[in-house]
Amino acid sequence: MTKKRETESFLPLTPAMFHILLALADGEKHGYAILKEVARRTGDKVRLSAGTLYGNLARLESEGLIAESDHRPEVVLDDERRRYYLLTEFGREVAVAEAERMEEALGQARAKKLFRKPKLA
Amino acid sequence: MGKEALPFSQRLFRALVRVLPFDFRTNYEGEMEGVFREQQREVEERGGPLGALKLWKETITGIFTTAPREHWQILTSDCSYAFRMMGKNRGFTAVAILTLALGIGANTAIFSVVHSVLLRPLPYPQGQQLIFIRQQETKLGIPDLSFSVKEIEDYRAQNRTLSGLVEYHAMSFTLFGHGDPERVRTGVVSANYFDLFGIQPLLGRTFLPDDEKLGAPPVLLLSYEYWKDNFGSDPGIVGKTFEMNDKVHTVVGVLPPVPQYPNENDVYMATSACPYRSNKMHLEDRDMRMMEVFGRLKPGVTVSQANADVSTIAAGLKATYPKSYPENVGFTSAVSPLQEELTHGARPTLLLLLGAAAFVLLIACANVANLTLARMARRERELAVRSALGAGRSRILRQLLTESFLLAIVGGILGLMLAYGSLELLTDFVGRLTPRAREIQVDSGVLLFTLAAALGTSIVFGTLSALFSRANLTSSLKEGSSGAGSGYQQGRVRSALIVCQIAFSFMLLIGAGLMMRSLFKMQQVDAGIVPQRVLAMRIAFNWSKYNSADKTRVVIQKLLDRVKSEPGVLSAAISSRYPFEPEMITGGPESVSFSFQIEGQHLEPGQAPPVSTYAAVSPGYFETLGIPLKAGRMLADTDSDDLKAPQVVLMNEEAKRRFWPNDDPLGKRVSGDGGEHWATIVGIVGDVREFGLDHAPSPEFYGPQAQGPQPGNLVVRTAVQPQSMAQALTRAIHEVDSQTAVTHILTLEQARYESMASPRVTASLLGIFAALALVIATAGIGGIMALMVSQRVREIGIRIALGARPSSILQMVLGQGMLLAVVGVGIGIAGAVALTGLVKSLLFEVPPTDVLTFGGVGLTLLAAAALASYLPARRAAAVDPNVALRTD
Repeated sequence: MTKKRETESFLPLTPAMFHILLALADGEKHGYAILKEVARRTGDKVRLSAGTLYGNLARLESEGLIAESDHRPEVVLDDERRRYYLLTEFGREVAVAEAERMEEALGQARAKKLFRKPKLA
Repeated sequence: MGKEALPFSQRLFRALVRVLPFDFRTNYEGEMEGVFREQQREVEERGGPLGALKLWKETITGIFTTAPREHWQILTSDCSYAFRMMGKNRGFTAVAILTLALGIGANTAIFSVVHSVLLRPLPYPQGQQLIFIRQQETKLGIPDLSFSVKEIEDYRAQNRTLSGLVEYHAMSFTLFGHGDPERVRTGVVSANYFDLFGIQPLLGRTFLPDDEKLGAPPVLLLSYEYWKDNFGSDPGIVGKTFEMNDKVHTVVGVLPPVPQYPNENDVYMATSACPYRSNKMHLEDRDMRMMEVFGRLKPGVTVSQANADVSTIAAGLKATYPKSYPENVGFTSAVSPLQEELTHGARPTLLLLLGAAAFVLLIACANVANLTLARMARRERELAVRSALGAGRSRILRQLLTESFLLAIVGGILGLMLAYGSLELLTDFVGRLTPRAREIQVDSGVLLFTLAAALGTSIVFGTLSALFSRANLTSSLKEGSSGAGSGYQQGRVRSALIVCQIAFSFMLLIGAGLMMRSLFKMQQVDAGIVPQRVLAMRIAFNWSKYNSADKTRVVIQKLLDRVKSEPGVLSAAISSRYPFEPEMITGGPESVSFSFQIEGQHLEPGQAPPVSTYAAVSPGYFETLGIPLKAGRMLADTDSDDLKAPQVVLMNEEAKRRFWPNDDPLGKRVSGDGGEHWATIVGIVGDVREFGLDHAPSPEFYGPQAQGPQPGNLVVRTAVQPQSMAQALTRAIHEVDSQTAVTHILTLEQARYESMASPRVTASLLGIFAALALVIATAGIGGIMALMVSQRVREIGIRIALGARPSSILQMVLGQGMLLAVVGVGIGIAGAVALTGLVKSLLFEVPPTDVLTFGGVGLTLLAAAALASYLPARRAAAVDPNVALRTD
């Protein structure tokens, strides 16, 4: 109950935060990789700048939604100036809660016929 | 190996990133740069300037939206942490806040006065263009001569630097038609008086040029306060009529609530309506002076240009009318800004008080810095842990500054409340020094000052404490001590702060001590009268009824006969003024000075004639006030207006010393009107300090009321408590003439007491500041000695274990406290001697380096320091070595 309330206290997440959590959902990444992943996934609709990215990373890290990873890639691939971030268990819960919140809102929009069916590509 | 220069874009990016908090940068700056570089590379690969522009736009927006959020977050977390710390150390918090509140409060209060009175422009449009013009007789020592109608006309016609010139004088008239006949203070002014000041009426209109023409129907303007208090703010007042001076006066307007200079009046009338100003003698005689003159500078004209202009006019007048402006009086004229004119009396006192308040704040600052340092000693471990957990130096400094700032802000708010509470008292005090006192208020300027004081204070004591604790952060963790490692350096800083507090307190105490000694000396002065059981009251006959000397003489005699018949009256007299009369204290002897001629004495060309003050008194005056006869005879009822009765005068001993040092003046004759009339000196009376206890007696002549009536005051010596007779006497006066106004009733002792109000309040305020300083500094010494003892318990324990006697421990601690005090007093003496110039002009018969004051203050401070060190010293002497050695 307490945990749920704690999770809910983060909702709704800002789009930038949500996309960062999404980017980390399938594995740890460094800053630039997060930025690239978000741009790729949203077809460049969400573009994070360095300031926005690290402002959000700092927030998410201090709230315990993400953490710095000790795990580093192989030495040949590693750039020691880079830090890698991973999604914490708590971060995952918050991301899930946010996705559920969105889904619920989407459902309501559908019920009110406020939803255009996606065109098939 | 030379460093490769960074590309411009990277340098620009680094400069942008600097708006982010330090800790944020430490954490992420390198990565951010990396990301930005990658983004740039990507844009370059794609090509096209638009991409680069877009990247910059996004980058700048991103940084500038992130920075405030990050700063805010740090601030809120620092504040909540600071509040937690304040809650944990309630004793420290309360003492620090109270000390700061007193320091900031004292400064805010005095600053609100200085700001309203000295700094703020006059509350009129382009107030800086308003000037006061004065004529002077420099060789006679008369700095402020009034103007006659003829002179005003000349200055108005001849000046080239003024856009307007107006006159003013104040009178009391009786107003009929609104309940009982009422005496009203009336300002008699030029038609364009209010236009010159830029005052728009609240109701109706101000005066028009036609109102000023001789014979014009008399009109009145009411002051806002008079309209509000006496007519209940009646909106239909305009057009109502009243009778004054046997004429119907119509109200044409009401003034807004503006400060009235130079005096506050109930009503205003145009010059033509004043029976005095409009009589033939005043209109035609160049020497009949009674008006004050104000002007407004033309745009772009400076005060010195106007000064040159009016002195040229004065020189012209001298050449044209040599009889009115004899060469030997040193006639000239000058202008001064009105603002300066209204405030010069208050300036030295206010600046002295502001300086004193600043000292109090400095002492408070030093004290809180010391308290904070002492607390730092106990917090070092906590700060070292935070430092070890990754908080950077600047982060810790920021945290400490936030804590200090919160303390100062809370202290500032309390101080503001203190200042607000003291405003009424201060306004009352400053009212004795300047007519601008009623403008005193706490406005945005004062609030800004308080904020700046709080901010400055917190920066001073916050930085001090942060800097001196920083050095120890790393060492204290290693030592694992509980602050014992706070270090020699910190101890020295604390000692220096204590020495400063004592030095500043010493200087303040000297200031207050000198003022009090001066006041005490003033109170000891023999004024030359017996003030006990004497009642004085101002009486004003209805001008239009008693418009000749004969009529006035008759009513004066009737009134005196009636008053003397009143049971309880021992003697009574009518006089133009009396000792310590409030207006005389303000005006000084110059306001009633006249130059005269001694029969048989020839002046060299250019030699100034003798000058004296003059009072018209009825024969019982000297007996009533207890002024002794030294030679000759007193005035008598036979010194009348009878043509056969020769004109006579009395004079005081000072006049004898000044004008007849080697001769007997009795029987000699003097003339005040260029030799037309001569009066014989028939007696010499004792000197009286008429113009204040701090004014040495000036030469004085007393002429009989019967030979030149100038009624103004009734003085009565009573057999009972004088105040208890006020009603009976007022009734008696009204029995003789019901239209006579009786005002300003006070005993001579009250007048004497009031005459010392300004030095008394200055001494009291300085005394309060000094007492505050003494308490803060003493508490500071006590605090630092207690801290020192608690930090050295182990060492003291070892000393005792090794055989040191408790008395020698007591001596050691006491000695250390006293050493600080002695050094502080030494610096204080040097400072006080250097600053004596500031108080010199305010002292009376006390040298600014008065040995008694310096000695007394020094001893007081040392005694206070000894007392403050004694308690911790006793605790040190009582240390049990067994317990002490076991403590960590």
